[in-house]
Amino acid sequence: MRLPPRPQERIDRSRELTFFFEGEPRHGFPGDTVGSALFASGRRVFSRSFKYHRPRGLLCCSGQCPNCLMQVDGVPNVRVCTMPLREGARVRGQNVLGSLDRDVMSVVDKIGGPFTPVGFYYRTMIRPRRAWPLYERFLRNVAGLGKIDRGAGRTRRFDTEHRRVEVLVIGGGRAGIEAARAAAARGEQVVLVDEGLGPGERAAGGSFEVIAPARALGIYEGGLVPVDAGQVLIRFRARRIVVATGAIEQPLVFPGNDLVGVMLPGAVRRLTDEWSLRPGSRAVVIGADERALSVVAELRSAGTEIARVVDLRAESPRRIAAEGKKGRLASVLVDGEGLDCDLLVMSGGRQPAYSLLAQAGARIEYDAGRGVFVPIELPASVEAVGAVAGELPSGATPAATYEGGGKARGKCFVCVCEDVTTKDVRRAIAEGFDSIELAKRYTTVTMGPCQGRLCQLPSVRLYARENGTDEAAIGRTTARPPWAPVSLGLLAGRGHEPARRTSIHERHVQLGARMMWTGAWRRVHSYGDPAGEVRAVHEAVGAIDVSTLGKILVSGPDAAAFLERLYPNRFGDLRPGRIRYSVLGTDAGRIMDDGTIARLDDDRFYVTTTSTGADVVSEWLEWWNAVWGMGVEVVNLTGALAAVNVAGPRARELLGRLTDLDVSNESFSYLDAKQAHVAGVPCLLLRIGFVGELGYELHCSSPYGEYLWSTLLERGADLGLRPFGLEAQRVLRLEKQHILVGQDTDSESNALEAGMPWVVKFDKDEFVGKWALEHVRERGLRERLVGFEMTGWTVPPEGGQIVVDGRPAGRVTSARWSGELRRAIGLAWVPAALAEEDAELAIRVDGRLEQARVRLRPFLDPDGERLRS
Amino acid sequence: MSELEFLSTDRTRTGGGFEPVFRSPLADALAAAGPDVRDLSALGKVEVRGDVEGFDGLASAERIPLTPGRTLFLCAPEETARLREALADPSRTVVDVTGALAGLELRGERLLRRLTDLDLDGLPAVGAVARVTTIVLRTGEEFRLFFPQEYARSMAEVVLDAAAGL
Amino acid sequence: MSFLIPCPNCGSRDVNEFAYGGEIAVRPEARPNVRELGSYLYFRRNVAGVQREWWFHRLGCEAWFQAERDTRTNEVLLTERPRASRDEAPPGPEAPALPDTPAV
Repeated sequence: MRLPPRPQERIDRSRELTFFFEGEPRHGFPGDTVGSALFASGRRVFSRSFKYHRPRGLLCCSGQCPNCLMQVDGVPNVRVCTMPLREGARVRGQNVLGSLDRDVMSVVDKIGGPFTPVGFYYRTMIRPRRAWPLYERFLRNVAGLGKIDRGAGRTRRFDTEHRRVEVLVIGGGRAGIEAARAAAARGEQVVLVDEGLGPGERAAGGSFEVIAPARALGIYEGGLVPVDAGQVLIRFRARRIVVATGAIEQPLVFPGNDLVGVMLPGAVRRLTDEWSLRPGSRAVVIGADERALSVVAELRSAGTEIARVVDLRAESPRRIAAEGKKGRLASVLVDGEGLDCDLLVMSGGRQPAYSLLAQAGARIEYDAGRGVFVPIELPASVEAVGAVAGELPSGATPAATYEGGGKARGKCFVCVCEDVTTKDVRRAIAEGFDSIELAKRYTTVTMGPCQGRLCQLPSVRLYARENGTDEAAIGRTTARPPWAPVSLGLLAGRGHEPARRTSIHERHVQLGARMMWTGAWRRVHSYGDPAGEVRAVHEAVGAIDVSTLGKILVSGPDAAAFLERLYPNRFGDLRPGRIRYSVLGTDAGRIMDDGTIARLDDDRFYVTTTSTGADVVSEWLEWWNAVWGMGVEVVNLTGALAAVNVAGPRARELLGRLTDLDVSNESFSYLDAKQAHVAGVPCLLLRIGFVGELGYELHCSSPYGEYLWSTLLERGADLGLRPFGLEAQRVLRLEKQHILVGQDTDSESNALEAGMPWVVKFDKDEFVGKWALEHVRERGLRERLVGFEMTGWTVPPEGGQIVVDGRPAGRVTSARWSGELRRAIGLAWVPAALAEEDAELAIRVDGRLEQARVRLRPFLDPDGERLRS
Repeated sequence: MSELEFLSTDRTRTGGGFEPVFRSPLADALAAAGPDVRDLSALGKVEVRGDVEGFDGLASAERIPLTPGRTLFLCAPEETARLREALADPSRTVVDVTGALAGLELRGERLLRRLTDLDLDGLPAVGAVARVTTIVLRTGEEFRLFFPQEYARSMAEVVLDAAAGL
Repeated sequence: MSFLIPCPNCGSRDVNEFAYGGEIAVRPEARPNVRELGSYLYFRRNVAGVQREWWFHRLGCEAWFQAERDTRTNEVLLTERPRASRDEAPPGPEAPALPDTPAV
């Protein structure tokens, strides 16, 4: 089937490649594409159309149109006309029920029915409602192209690469190569990307880099150009972008314009020149420019007989129609003159491929003289060269839409991707879709795989004619990335999610911990027995990894003044070695975080934050530091330090075994901070009690966290020490009514209504949030965060409703079963009037109302005797 | 105690039945790595807030300016204490970040391009490597990354995976 | 978004490395009434044009700085380290917007 060797051919006839089509072996040469090799093997039908399942053959043969989409090695929607042939490639047709040659679904083309006109899915399948699942199943089956290989995720890999380049040239045609050479000659670093096989190393001559096949997907702000290079998405940051995407031959619109055997001139040229194939035996050529008509010579050299040449510049036929047999071109009618042929080369002129330029911000205008849209007013640092810049032969006659007339009633396609005909467009216009943007969404013209390359201009021409106006008035639709279809996998990349792990993480895993996410942190939910873990803390001693706590060093001569100004609580009078709790508020008076602050010495404070708040608080502190410009340094030490909270009545005994420090209650009291070696590791020890029992937080350099943890567990085993997780901690802190910011508070909560008026020092001159809290104090409290205990045994759901007079009036924020109290307890926001000890609450649980009583003081150890013991 | 001893990794005491073990955050994560990837986590690292313009206390320490008021010093592990002392000055905040930052050395510009969009010809710099804030240094084809230690395993996974994709 | 921001410490970087700190607002010097407080907290000028704003280089030097950005084009005209000192209020818009309703 090949012609004798030709001068420009790309194929290497000395070697043969074998591949498989529908399981049958086929042959080709190196230099072939899958498409050219299939064409050489005699295949003419390459796909079935989207809606009508009409047979389609090679149309553009340059990776623009949807006509050669196939499954190659399990990958759907591969344009085989540009896919280099590989030994052993497995190729299959897609979007068929049966085979490409006998597709059962092609019955749709014959009978049509309600499921083919434009916008049918807006009008049909509405009733009966109970049939929706059926409709959905039907639509899922017929919609879309290709089949995703569900196992591919495990075998295919996509990477992302970042490149910086001085000049990025998009397009490897003559203009692109010239621009690349010129830039390289100026000493600039140049990369050229090309959708096809590229200009080859010879053209580059080593002066610039060529990446091909590689598709530029868009031009984004800051010179960002993502390029699809197959398995790698290259994110180029280019100082200058040269767009040399050329121009795209436009199909003519006439009945039967989608038949197999109707081709664009470029396809003919490539088939003959590059792969030495004869595109047909007898041809009609209809074109509007020199470039199109020049294929006549090429066809003759390939031995194709020329039946007729119609130069649209010289003659203006009123009727053109193609007729076929079984979907393949058999004859062409030009103004009634019938011409038998198996090839029709058509061209309605060339449209500059301006999409990337439009995305970059160029203005696009209709050039009535040449009948195409051209880019003008390019943004800085973007250039256009060659045909895309409008360097086209001038004076090309704008091609129109042709009626078949007479017997020729075949479908007349404006958009081959989505199977939209001129009839559909007229219908949309008749229904009132007069704006091109709205009509696009209704008809889906330009929304298919070609993204408007072959249908934007013809559809604009049709709209103009149907609306009795001109193309300039109709305008064009907005160009958006991606300009070329792209695999979602390529955009997703490797999909790693950064995770933070404490230095003790491996030990938890060894202990069989159930891990959970808290923000980006991996934390221990429990070691399998939360209730037992709670019991250990109450009765003996427990240890929890709290390395995730935010830890911030605030140092400098103004450190005390800075914290005094930032936090509602007082820190100026805090003595070195002492600790104080505070919430952290915004200027709106809201609680954004909470934690303890230890004064290490005159100029240094150790600020802790919640685990998820560490970064936010650190940025917040840095921000106020930048605003106020005080003599303060804020150093985020969160990851630098591991921290373990050792809590329980036997915590002191355990600590005494590990340190020389006097741990007696007299010399190391509640809310004291000390530095000492524990198990030989220098630690900052904070005596605080989030979980309500005697407890010490040990903070040490992260690389020793694991050693400290293991040593604690080892030396505490005989005291009944158990490691505990977040679930146990949640119960323990709830028994003390200690709030969890973000759980018990939200972005509306303030310290007064959250029941912590003691933390707000109104007598300070100023602090962030003071004004707002003063206004809250003056208007009076509207709601309150209070503790409650259930009368019955039910634990209400978190988020459950508090009901007053049958109406929702508050909500449960935390609720747990306390084994220690043998009661269900919780925290809830209630109307201020209900914030009285013993007030009765009704809580909605599964539709029923359950009774609870307000408890304003901690459920356990209300006077903090255990904490201070 | 004026020094923040609990931040330093070189102030542990062995004795009384205790033998503190320094464990690199990358210890497990790099088990499967080839010879081109090295763990630098044990290097001495000291961050200084304040002016270090005229500082010449420890010639062997490497100096990486992060902002005009913030500088990172790198030194051999055994020199860390000397570096801290030399830097100590009432006008500066000196923080030992040896334990805070994990360190990773790897080879190949191409590998780095898969991990970061930093300008590899404009190093050292701080930027996103595998979406983690990282200080990146370069000597020829050798790159050194310093990043928060809690991301060590996550980072090692990404780096080894990217290397496998080349 | 993929525009570049010239960080005063690190040079030109992808916007995704930064956290946006909002348009610069003038903080009242004395206790504001409810209306003034609402204006300060919740009302921004939201100009279509150049505005001065806070940015934090989260995936970089971890420092705050100020930028002048054209909100129509995302062109960042200048960036600089905060100039504020103890005595100087942070620079802000010429005229803060006035709310129609009290916010507290």
